[in-house]
Amino acid sequence: MASSASAAAVRQSKAEVLSLLRSLLRTARQFPDYNIKAYTKRRTIDAFRHNQNLSDPSSVASALSDGKAQLEIARRQAIVYSLHAPNVRSIMEMNRELTC
Amino acid sequence: MTSKLIASSLRQQLAKSAHQFHRQLLSTAAAAAVPAPAEPQHHGDSTGIMMKGVKISGRPLYLDVQATSPVDPRVLDAMLPYYMSRFGNPHSRTHMYGWESDLAVENARAQVASLVGASPKEIVFTSGATESNNISIKGVMHFYKDKKKHVITTQTEHKCVLDSCRHLQQEGFDITYLPVGSDGIIDLEKLRSAIRPDTGLVSVMAVNNEIGVVQPVEEIGKICKEFNVPFHTDAAQALGKIPLDVEKWNVSLMSLSGHKIYGPKGVGALYLRRRPRIRVEPQMNGGGQERGIRSGTVPTPLVVGFGAACELAMKEMEYDDKRISALQERLLNGIREKLDGVVVNGSMERRYAGNLNLSFAYVEGESLLMGLKEVAVSSGSACTSASLEPSYVLRALGVDEDMAHTSIRFGIGRFTTEAEIDRAIDLTVHQVQKLREMSPLYEMVKEGINIKDIQWAQH
Repeated sequence: MASSASAAAVRQSKAEVLSLLRSLLRTARQFPDYNIKAYTKRRTIDAFRHNQNLSDPSSVASALSDGKAQLEIARRQAIVYSLHAPNVRSIMEMNRELTC
Repeated sequence: MTSKLIASSLRQQLAKSAHQFHRQLLSTAAAAAVPAPAEPQHHGDSTGIMMKGVKISGRPLYLDVQATSPVDPRVLDAMLPYYMSRFGNPHSRTHMYGWESDLAVENARAQVASLVGASPKEIVFTSGATESNNISIKGVMHFYKDKKKHVITTQTEHKCVLDSCRHLQQEGFDITYLPVGSDGIIDLEKLRSAIRPDTGLVSVMAVNNEIGVVQPVEEIGKICKEFNVPFHTDAAQALGKIPLDVEKWNVSLMSLSGHKIYGPKGVGALYLRRRPRIRVEPQMNGGGQERGIRSGTVPTPLVVGFGAACELAMKEMEYDDKRISALQERLLNGIREKLDGVVVNGSMERRYAGNLNLSFAYVEGESLLMGLKEVAVSSGSACTSASLEPSYVLRALGVDEDMAHTSIRFGIGRFTTEAEIDRAIDLTVHQVQKLREMSPLYEMVKEGINIKDIQWAQH
C-alpha cells in the first residue's frame, strides 16, 4: 500500500480499512448461531489477510466498498438471527467434556 | 348402529383427554414461567433438550451437509425483501409488482446459468433436483418414445433416478443399470458397450450423494457425443463444489438443487440444452410458465435465494474447497490415528472432499449412530436413513454386509469449524471404542481369529 500516491490518502484509507475490520468482527459476535458467528469472523479475517497487499488504489477502493456491503448484510442478518435464536445453544458452546 | 355409538363416545373421550392434556400443558408452561430450577426443557444453557426419548445437552454439531445445508445469511438477506413488500407474481404482466419479481427471477436465472456455463435461456426452475430428474428421465423418454426405448443409468444413482427408471420399465422401456467398481466409479468401456441404436438417454450422477465419488463426467459426455445419445447428469451434489461446465461435460440435461448449496429448500433447476435441442414432455401441465416445461407460479423468493447461493458459490468455491479439504484430512487422520479398522467407502482420489463415508469394523452401525447423538451425521442418504437395511450404494460397491451396516457419512461444509471436527473425532472414537469393548467379535479378532472363517451355527 505504501507505494501509492499521497501519504495522507493512504493513512485515511488505512484507518477506514481498520474500522471496517473492527465493525465486521463486532457484528460477527452478535450472531447467536455458533457456526455463523465463527464463519463470519473467520471469513472476515481471511478476506482482509488476502487483500492486505493490495496497492492499486482502485482495487483498494473496490475491496473496501465490497466489505462495506458485506457489513450491511451482516448487520441486518445479525438482527434477524437474534430474533429467531433457538433457546438451546450449540453443544460446541458448552463445557467441553464427553457426555455420552 | 352400535359401532357408530361406540365411535362417537370414543371421540368424546378422546376430545376430553386432549382437552385435559392441553390444560396440563398450559399449567406447566405457567409453572415454568416462575423460576423453577428443576424444570428442564427451556432455558437451554446447562439442561438441554429432550427429543424422541433422547436427552441432548445442546444443539448437535452438524455434519450432514449432504442431506441439506444451512441457508447462508447472505442468501437469506437477498430473499427476505421478496417475502415482504416485493411479493408480486413474476408472471403478472400488467403492474409493477409483477415486473420487479420478473426482473428478480431473470437475474437469478442468469446467476444460476453463469455458475454452470450455460445460457439463461437454458435454465428452467423447478421444485428441486428430484423434479428435475423426473422431467429429464421420464420427460425425454416419453417425448422420444417412438424411436427410443432404452435408458442407461448406474446402480448408485439417487433414489429418484432409479425410481423414475423403474416407472419407465413398467411402461415397457428397457433400462440398463451399469455396475460400479469397488471405488464407486463406472467402467467407461461397459458404458460404451451398453449403448444401443435405440438408447434414448444416459443418466449418470456427477457427485454421489452417499459416498461423494466424482464420476468421469467429461469422458462420459464424450462417449455420448460420439454415439449421439443425450446425456443427463444429476449435479445436485456437485453444484458449487466442483467446477461445472455444461459445454465441457457435453450434457444435454442437468439437475440442480438449491438447498445443497446453502440456498433455500424447495427450489432447483433443470438445464436443458438448446443446441442441439433436447425436448421433454412436461410432467406438470398448466399456465405454461417456464416455457411450458414446468407450469406453476415460479416462487420468487426461493428462486432469488437460489440465484444468490449460486453467485456466492462461484465467489467462494476456491476458498471453501481449500478449507473443506483441510478439514476432511483433519477428520480422517484424527480418526485413523486412534482407531484401526476404519475404511473409506469409495475412491479416495476421485472424491469431493466434503463427503467422507467411513465404515467402522466390528461395531454395529445403528448403535454407533444412536451413541453419536451430539453429532448430526447419517448412515448414508437421508431418504433411506429410516430403514435398517444397508445402503444399496455400498452394496453396489461390493462392500461386505457387516461393513455396509456400519457406515457413517460425515459431511463437511462452509460453516464447519475445526473445533467441530475435533469434537466429532473425540465422540466417534470414544463411541467406537466403547462398542468394541463390548463386542465379542472384536475380542476374537484381537486374539487372531479370522471371523470370516467362523462357521456360524444355524438355528
